[in-house]
Amino acid sequence: MLKKKIPVLLCFLAGLLPIISFFFTSPGDGLREANDTLEQWLVVVSGFALLLGVISVFQVNLRKISNRSKGWVNAIYLLASLVIMGAFGLMDAFSEMPGWGWVGTSGNTGFNWIFDAIFQPLQSTMFSLLAFYVASAAFRAFRARNLEAGLLLAAAMVVMLGINPYVVKVLPFLPEWTRWIMNGPNAAAQRGIIIGAALGAASMTLRILLGIERSWLGLQEGE
Amino acid sequence: MNFMDWITNLDRRWLYLLVGVFAIVPLIFPLGMPVNVSPAVQSLYDHVEGMNPGEIIMVSMDYGPSTGPENDPMACALIRHALSRDLRIVMLALYPIGGVNEGIQELQRCVGDLDPPNGVLESTKFPGKIYGKDFVYLGYKDGGLATMRQMNENIHEVFPSDYWQTPVTEYELSNEVQGYDDVNFAFSVATGIIGEWWANTVNAQFGLPVAVGCTAVSAPKYFAYYNAGQMFALLGGLKGAAEYERLVLDNYPQAKADTEEQVFYAAKGWDVQSVVYSIITIFIILGNVAYLLERRRTRMQL
Repeated sequence: MLKKKIPVLLCFLAGLLPIISFFFTSPGDGLREANDTLEQWLVVVSGFALLLGVISVFQVNLRKISNRSKGWVNAIYLLASLVIMGAFGLMDAFSEMPGWGWVGTSGNTGFNWIFDAIFQPLQSTMFSLLAFYVASAAFRAFRARNLEAGLLLAAAMVVMLGINPYVVKVLPFLPEWTRWIMNGPNAAAQRGIIIGAALGAASMTLRILLGIERSWLGLQEGE
Repeated sequence: MNFMDWITNLDRRWLYLLVGVFAIVPLIFPLGMPVNVSPAVQSLYDHVEGMNPGEIIMVSMDYGPSTGPENDPMACALIRHALSRDLRIVMLALYPIGGVNEGIQELQRCVGDLDPPNGVLESTKFPGKIYGKDFVYLGYKDGGLATMRQMNENIHEVFPSDYWQTPVTEYELSNEVQGYDDVNFAFSVATGIIGEWWANTVNAQFGLPVAVGCTAVSAPKYFAYYNAGQMFALLGGLKGAAEYERLVLDNYPQAKADTEEQVFYAAKGWDVQSVVYSIITIFIILGNVAYLLERRRTRMQL
């Protein structure tokens, strides 16, 4: 019983504190101070979440390798990269501590070299490939098959042509049309999505604070 | 084979080849595409122009290497603009995958190589501008939203030392900036959601004016915040970067000379993007013409 009630109570108090602090306190209040401390803890705890993530990556990928699951060779590369980058990062962190200079060169040299020479070009390459896929996908899939698709196509054409400097010279009204689409229908739809997501997040927060939603404790509904 | 069959059955590798060639050629031979400045970009330029010398801008590097070609020129243009106008800059990074590296890379690209722990503090690109007095880089802090909220209370607790692990209290500028009240505005160079947090937390809750430079993919979403007044300026993708860069380059010769020394900058990227956009547009039109003709032929056969 206590295993369920104490975490739910702690969660309720931790969730309530920022709300009260935001609406009903001023700087210097005890509650505001408590909330500041809680936020500092949050920054520290989020650091530990990284460690949890690393452990989880190890568990999942070691299992994959031992079972020879599909893509197990990639799991070896992933873990090797994680260990090498992690080791260089830790060496650098330790080298900055008094008396630990022998473990590495201060200034993150190894870590930075791998980052700049391998990770950065790889990430840029992955993102650059999108240009090719987008071009191919747009050509094959962007068809005016019905009214909705036709409207989407027309809006996309106006936006794409409206930012093309040479087209704008011939059709000078297009940038204004582009701005209207971005500031009008686009912003309205985006606002709807953002407000909807925020309301969803607020209701989920309330469910968690009130102990209705307990899946974060590893419990099923009704437990 | 007629046109319809040809366009319908076009091997995608031809398209890849075309996009590849037209992406590389403008990089080697810049086209100098004209740039039309939009109001969302102009307002950032005007805001910086309206600031008094000595005022402080907070620049948050909230992106990684994958979006560097879009985001790097935005950061660079703002740093050069600010230093050219004798404004001061506090830089930090909140993006975990490479934010810290992008930050130091762009700062050194703009001001020249620095080595504060060994006394190399003066900018070689902006003579007289000193690290710690005119600009400072606080490095990366994990925690995202919690970090942003905490910075309002006391930045020194969140960033006790700078990128080079020197206590922030040892530098005049970082010692002066203790919370959002001490800066004029924040500029988040963002990919993903962190730019949104600057708008809906730092601006909405703490009242600090916020401008965002985001990727083109994210720009439609950010327009909702821009229209709502939660950010006073928005640089969307390479186009936004090229617009701002153009404004800075046209008015500050030193910034122009430094920028054009670089292998890649926003105007070059915009050349490439304009050409590739044109190819994609042409192929979308061709694809639809073929589709409509095919549909008409099928109907007539029935």
